[in-house]
Amino acid sequence: MSLARVANVVGLLQVFVSLSMFLAAGVGFVYGDGDALGILLAAVVTFFVGGFTYGITMFEGELTPREGFAIVTMAWTAAAAFGALPYLFTGALDSPVAAFFEAMSGFTTTGATVFTDVEALPHGVLFWRSLTQWLGGMGIIVLVIAVLPYLGVGGMQLFKAEVPGPTPERLRPRITQTAKLLWLVYVGLTAAETALYLIGGMSFFDAVNHSFTTLATGGFSTRNGSMASFDSGFIHWVTIIFMYLAGVNFSLHFRAATGRPVYFRDHEWRFYTYIVLLAALAIAAVNLASGSYSGLEPTVRDALFQATSITTTTGFVSADYELWLPGAQMVLFALFFVGGMAGSTGGGMKTMRVLLLIKQTAIELRKHLHPRAVLLTRVGDKTVKQEVLANVTGFVILYLLLCLTGAIVLGFLGMDPLTAIAASISSIGNVGPGFGNVGATDNYGWMSDTALVVLSFFMLVGRLEIYTVLLLFHPETWKARRSFH
Amino acid sequence: MKVLILGAGEVGFHLAKRLSEENQDVILIESDPERAEFASQQLDVITVVGNGASLPILEKAGISNARMLLAVTSKDEVNLIASMAAKKFGVEHVVARISNPEYYGKGSVLSQEQMGIDLMINPERECARETFDLLRSEIATDVVPFAGGRIHLVGLRIKEGAPVVGKTMAELAADLHDHHYATVAIVRDGETRIPRAESKVLAGDQLYMLTPTTEIADIAPLAGYKSFGLRRVMIAGGSAEGEYLAEILEEEGVECTILDIDRRRCLELAERLPRALVLHADATDLELLEMEGVAGVDGFVAATSSDETNLLSSLLAKTAGAHKVVSLVHKFEYLRLVPRVGVDASVSPRMSTVNAILRYVRRGHVVTVAELTGTDAETIEYGVGEDSEIAGQAIKDVHFPKNAVIGTILRGDEIILPRGDDKVLPGDDVIVFALPDAVPEVERLFD
Repeated sequence: MSLARVANVVGLLQVFVSLSMFLAAGVGFVYGDGDALGILLAAVVTFFVGGFTYGITMFEGELTPREGFAIVTMAWTAAAAFGALPYLFTGALDSPVAAFFEAMSGFTTTGATVFTDVEALPHGVLFWRSLTQWLGGMGIIVLVIAVLPYLGVGGMQLFKAEVPGPTPERLRPRITQTAKLLWLVYVGLTAAETALYLIGGMSFFDAVNHSFTTLATGGFSTRNGSMASFDSGFIHWVTIIFMYLAGVNFSLHFRAATGRPVYFRDHEWRFYTYIVLLAALAIAAVNLASGSYSGLEPTVRDALFQATSITTTTGFVSADYELWLPGAQMVLFALFFVGGMAGSTGGGMKTMRVLLLIKQTAIELRKHLHPRAVLLTRVGDKTVKQEVLANVTGFVILYLLLCLTGAIVLGFLGMDPLTAIAASISSIGNVGPGFGNVGATDNYGWMSDTALVVLSFFMLVGRLEIYTVLLLFHPETWKARRSFH
Repeated sequence: MKVLILGAGEVGFHLAKRLSEENQDVILIESDPERAEFASQQLDVITVVGNGASLPILEKAGISNARMLLAVTSKDEVNLIASMAAKKFGVEHVVARISNPEYYGKGSVLSQEQMGIDLMINPERECARETFDLLRSEIATDVVPFAGGRIHLVGLRIKEGAPVVGKTMAELAADLHDHHYATVAIVRDGETRIPRAESKVLAGDQLYMLTPTTEIADIAPLAGYKSFGLRRVMIAGGSAEGEYLAEILEEEGVECTILDIDRRRCLELAERLPRALVLHADATDLELLEMEGVAGVDGFVAATSSDETNLLSSLLAKTAGAHKVVSLVHKFEYLRLVPRVGVDASVSPRMSTVNAILRYVRRGHVVTVAELTGTDAETIEYGVGEDSEIAGQAIKDVHFPKNAVIGTILRGDEIILPRGDDKVLPGDDVIVFALPDAVPEVERLFD
């Protein structure tokens, strides 16, 4: 492992982070509510630290896989650290830990916030919050790969480490082209949603911010009441549709955009869609039966909104789901684990892994009936390799273990069991809201610094899909490979 | 007609034998000198020793004035090259045996026309198709479609106590006056007879009947069997034939279990057959067969690459209670053994190939021909032309060879079971059943 090479790439990535800060400073300047200078200062600091690191180190040779993992993990941690500066320098937050948490929650598209009153924040800071999510959604590194070919073949290592899902696919032979196409689709969808929000009567600022955080499946809002603050069925439906789209594999969108809509042929897509629809149906049925809703359309809309929001791990709320009957709440609880499709901006375990796990379990059952049978797991007409299945099983076990570990640690820090479990699962899944004291209408501002650091770590682990981060803690990663002479 | 046959393996040898018996000029090209020597001693043909894909050898064999080339070596590439060469020399009919599916159909680099091949035969696929027909036809030993599938030739083994046992042909005809059956042959103790009105049916006989496809299902009870549908099939052995058969069964929605002894082959099968159940097991592991429900299957097909294993596996399955058992047999000598060991039917990729090629060779005025298990006899479908000798005559007036019989006359949509007074008209299709020595005479009548 060459630390110089790692530092070189990480430094360069921070320069990109600083560029987006300059953009936020610009927004602050336009709206003129006093935060422009603070953000500008943060941008300048980030630019020079990042640029300096990049300048004094050299990038030579090929990236090794472990350097790839190290770069991605460190780049994201550094991005959160520097991303905290605008909150501190503008005085929006006083605690560096809280600021780091907010930035990490942004980049990992979790959407958990320490702010009690976001509506009091200046425009520049709000825009920066949303921008961190938008950058983190498609991935900072994917963006850099798209515009800078200098990583060369090593780019694939980074790409693999950052893009969610068991086996990332290439749309084009060159990784740079693939990254470009993904960003192109991402930008296109964001523009489309912004336009629809404007039609629905949102202000331009709100429309852009919410589009950013919808497509990233982030969930930061510029309003205290999240989406419930917008009393418009149209806006809610637009949000449902775009949350849903953000949870779909972006390669499918790309294919559709080039005139080959192949959604229906994709088995994971069908599974993902079934989950969302079935969950929404169950919730709507419970809510109708409870009589707490009047009218079919609001019942269905709210059920669909919450189901889509949690499944895709966006974390917007249009209704306080903690007031629903326990049955409806438990349906949502199950959705916290599922996540979006592989290759989407959603978090969670990813529907592909859930699908593979279910198929694998069915096969294990069938093996008891036919002990000598040779059974393969297939998705559509493709056979899934044994190594991928082992990887998926390992991932899911690790994921659940981490959820449990997080809940136990938070319990030791004094949280009640429901809150501890919900906060842990919600952070690893990059959802945002949970249950108990981190419920639909609550925030994370009351937590101790220790709890915020722990949750920041879990958000990162969840966003980078566990292996990438945990490998850094494996002793062998740091051992030099010795030759025999 | 001068016919070049490439390869004196079992297929080539058998084709050479058939065609020379029918007075065709056969030249056999074979690369193995011993095999060539054996063929020239056994058969009335010229043999040329050498590689059939080389120009000097083809010229030596006289390709420039040959009318037909049958490239039936076991090597696809040799067959392909020879076929392409033959077309250049203006050979009229080119038939090639091609086993690798990558060389034909969609995956092929050159189309069949570009390669100059008139008929491509994949022995394994042909054999799987035949096996499926056998399974579907419940109790038959042979099932061959004629007249575009409107009529089938069905071979059945008569069970002890079946309604037809002890009856003469005349009595049978009286019983079946509502139906269109024509009994064209009885095989008893390995000997094929053309039945006369007074011939009796005995238990254990193999009966060949021509019947309209719509009435096939009514045959089973006659021979003493219960009829059943094809729901579950077990294939022991993941050979190419087994895989093709499993593919057909999957397409037809029949539940299918296929087993193979080689684990890697099993993985391959599991990959290619999404609906079939693939087992890693030995075809003769009775305990496993029973656990997987061999007793309840409607069809059991032994399809490993070893004939001995297949026969043994078939016997085990039959004993365990499998309904209909078909065995894959590669060696021609073993085919005669099949009826004696109690296996219901056998298929052979080489025999299927010979059949398909003979059908093609007699094309023109001959529409379809079939060779049958356990007998040398052939069933041939002729189209009657204006100047055929037989045209316009009543059957009793024609001097028809003793070892041949007219089974059915097809006139438009009409199916006629001929009696002595019936006339054969131009435009009719006539299905004739004939022993080999009668074939040239029959051919002359229809030519």
